[in-house]
Amino acid sequence: MAWAHGWLGLIAGWILFTMFLTGTSAYFRPEITQWMQPEIRAQSATPAQAAASAIRHLSRIGPDDLQWYIYLPDERTIATRVFRIPAKPDPRARGGEFDLDPVSGAPLIARETRGGEHFYRFHFQLQLPHPWGRWLAGLCAMAMLGAIISGVITHKRIFADFFTLRWNKGQRSWLDAHNVSAVFGLPYHAMITYTGLITLITMYMPWPVVMNYPKPAQFLQTAYGTPEDVPASGLRRPLVAIAPLIADAERRLGGPATRVIVQNPGDAAARVSIALAKRGAISARTPTVTYEGATGRFVSRSGDPASAIETAGVMLGLHVAQYAGIALRWAYFVLGLTGTAMVGTGLLLWTAKRRKPGAAPFFGLRLAERLNIAVIAAFPTGMAAYLLANRLIPADMAARADMEVSAMFWTWGLLALAQLGLPARRAWTMVFGLAAAAWAAIPLVNALTTTRWLIPALLDGDHLFAAFDLACLAIGIGFAVAARVSARPAARTPRRTRHPLEPAHA
Amino acid sequence: MAWRWITAAIGGYGFAVAAAMLAARTLPAAGPLARIEATGWPMILSFLVYAGIGLWSLHDVRLGRVGAVVWGGALAMAVLLKLLGVRP
Repeated sequence: MAWAHGWLGLIAGWILFTMFLTGTSAYFRPEITQWMQPEIRAQSATPAQAAASAIRHLSRIGPDDLQWYIYLPDERTIATRVFRIPAKPDPRARGGEFDLDPVSGAPLIARETRGGEHFYRFHFQLQLPHPWGRWLAGLCAMAMLGAIISGVITHKRIFADFFTLRWNKGQRSWLDAHNVSAVFGLPYHAMITYTGLITLITMYMPWPVVMNYPKPAQFLQTAYGTPEDVPASGLRRPLVAIAPLIADAERRLGGPATRVIVQNPGDAAARVSIALAKRGAISARTPTVTYEGATGRFVSRSGDPASAIETAGVMLGLHVAQYAGIALRWAYFVLGLTGTAMVGTGLLLWTAKRRKPGAAPFFGLRLAERLNIAVIAAFPTGMAAYLLANRLIPADMAARADMEVSAMFWTWGLLALAQLGLPARRAWTMVFGLAAAAWAAIPLVNALTTTRWLIPALLDGDHLFAAFDLACLAIGIGFAVAARVSARPAARTPRRTRHPLEPAHA
Repeated sequence: MAWRWITAAIGGYGFAVAAAMLAARTLPAAGPLARIEATGWPMILSFLVYAGIGLWSLHDVRLGRVGAVVWGGALAMAVLLKLLGVRP
C-alpha cells in the first residue's frame, strides 16, 4: 500500500498541486474579480432592483431575444451578470455575456479581465481543450482518492504520529510535515476529493443512465424537475414588472433570489424562472419557481428531488462552498492551503528519501526534483504574474484579458526552464526568492497604479482591497521564508535514532 | 508492472462502470422517483468501487488473480448487461 501511495502521489502530484492551489484561490473567485476591476465601486441593490434594471436594459437592446440568463448580485459579486441568446446570433458580439450595474442596469465599463474565473477554470480544465482537461483533472482526482485511502491504510500509527513533528531532520521532517498536513485536514481532503469527482459526475459516470432511460435526456429532466420548454407563440406581449415576481418568489422559496431565466421575453408565452440563492442552503441545486412572463401567473415550483439527486447537490455545494459565510470560507481557504501543503510535502519527501549522500542522483530523481521546483516554486510565481499583469497592462488595451493569462503561463514556463541553468539547491532559492518578490510586489504595484491600495483602503473601510493586499504580502513573506530555508545547508538524517524499536514505516 | 497499472487504471474503470450500470439496471425501481434513485446512487458510489478495485489491483501479489477478477469481472458484467438490455 505504501508503494501504491507513493507512486499515485508522485505521478499525479505535480498536477494535483496546481489544482489545489488554484482551487483554493477559487474560494475567493468573486473577490479576486473585484480586485482585478478596481474601477467598479460596489453599489448594492436588492435582488428585485437588480433584476428590474437588468430587464430594462435587456428589453432595450434585445427585445426579440430567445433567452436571458440573469445572475443577480449578492454581497460578494457586485455586478449583475447577464447572458443573452439573441434570435439571430450576432457574429460581431464577443459571446453574449456581460456585466451590468445593479442599480442603473447600464453595462459596466471596467478593464477587460477574466478575474478569478481564470484560476477557477484552470482548477478543473487545466487550460486544456475540452474534454481533455476535465478528463485529466478527473484522473488526477481518482489518483488523489487512491492516495488518501492508501495513505490512511499505510499510516498505522496515525494518531500517535499526529503529534510528531521533528524539525531539521531532513527526510524525517518532510515525512512529519506530510503526515501533519494530511492528517490534520483529512476529513476535508477526503471530502474535497470525492465531491470534486461528483461535480463532473455526468461526464465521468453517465452510463447507468443509459441502462434505465431509453432517452437519456429524460433522466435529467425528471431528476431536476425542469418545466418543459414552451415554444414562442408569436404574439407580442410585454413582460410584466419583475419586482413583484421576485418578491413572490422569495416568499415562496424562503430566501433571496439569485438567478432569473427569462424564456421568449416579449412573447405571450414568455416564462420567468427564479432560483433561490445559494446562501439559502448547502445543496448547490436550489429550488426554482416559474411564472408566466406576460401575466405574472405562478406556474410551478420545482419539486422535492430524489435523495440521490439531493445528495449529489449537497456534495456539489460542499465542494464549491458557495453556501459558506465569511468565517467558514476562510476556514475552507486554510484547509485548501493545508491540502496544497500535503501534496507539496509529499513530492518533497519522495525526492528527499531517494537522495543518497555521495551518490550521483539517478535520472528519475533529477527529473522529479526539477518538476518539483517548476510546480511548487514557479507556478505560484506565475499566479502572481497574472495579478501583476492586471495592474500593469493599461486598462483600455485591447485583448488585455488574454494578455493577463499569457503573463501567467509565460512566467511559469520561462522560470521552469531557467531553473535548469542552476544546480537544484540554488534553483529552489532563486525561484522561491522570485516568488516572494512577485507576491510582495502586488500591493506595491497596486499603490502605484490605482487609488485603492492598502492605506486608503484601510481608511475607507474598503475591506476587500485591504485584505487582498495584506494577503499578497503574507504570501510573499511566506515565500521569502521558504527561500531562506532552502538556502540553509542540507539537514542530516541521523543514522541511529534514540528509539531503535521504532517501526520503520515510510 | 505496466500491465498492473493498466489493469488498475483502465480495467478498474471498466469494472466500476459495469458494476454501476448493473446496479442501476437491477435495483428495484417501481416508479419514476425510484428509477432516479436506482440510477443516481450507483453513479455516486462508483468512484469508491473504482478506488477500491484499483488499489487492490496494485496491492495483491498474484497478477493472474488480479487480471482475472478485474478484466474477467468487467467482461462478465458487460455480457450480463447486454443480455438484460435497457430497463423497460
